[in-house]
Amino acid sequence: MTSLLVHISSSPFTSLSAKEGLDIALVMATFEQAVDLYLSGPALSILQVNQAPSLLHGKNLSKALPSLELYDIENVYVCKEDISHLNKTQLNIWDGVHFLDSQQWQQKLQSYQHILRF
Amino acid sequence: MQYTLFIQGSPFSSKACHSAYRFAQALLNSTQHSIEGVFFYEDSVLIANALMQPPRDEANISILWQELAKQHSINLYVCIAAALRRGVINESEMVRHELTQHSLAEGFQLEGLGTLVHLINNSHKTITFR
Repeated sequence: MTSLLVHISSSPFTSLSAKEGLDIALVMATFEQAVDLYLSGPALSILQVNQAPSLLHGKNLSKALPSLELYDIENVYVCKEDISHLNKTQLNIWDGVHFLDSQQWQQKLQSYQHILRF
Repeated sequence: MQYTLFIQGSPFSSKACHSAYRFAQALLNSTQHSIEGVFFYEDSVLIANALMQPPRDEANISILWQELAKQHSINLYVCIAAALRRGVINESEMVRHELTQHSLAEGFQLEGLGTLVHLINNSHKTITFR
């Protein structure tokens, strides 16, 4: 089976990229493709639970996280180093995420046949 | 080798469509490679707006893609959801949404993401242009 990674690095609040990336991951999974997700940089804010963006801010993408499992998207990866740059006292991160160190991530990255970045 | 070209960047604020065009030309000039299909997503779908009129002394990247696709029989797919939200509409969507105009340029076709799944599954490599 084709292995696909959807890497989202755009903020959900500055463009549609993160939303359109997540849409692709969900459609791929609907078509029974093996899809993993990797979030980095400004896209990490998607993982913040209890956020309440307004319609003008954009869709609350964090609400899609609990449903990923229903689509058989079980691997949502984040680099430990990325998270360590954030202010931990203000973080409330979704508990379904898998943390990798950068070496593990580099190995993982090479295992995908196709990578789409948003 | 079979390639899928996945284009994301706007034809105005990025060179994604232009770089992809040059890459496609290089692939088509080679005997070892072929293009399974080209899929436009995000702001790149604006390339399929038939109403755009770039100044005459600038390259018209939409026309260039149309000519290349025709010459080599390549399909230019445009994500239907991304296109609708940006006002790129074909005749059947015009009717469905009770509009009075359509704007999809010749040579492009609106397709769902399922088409992208099919392209990726039939390609050795997917090259993205942001």
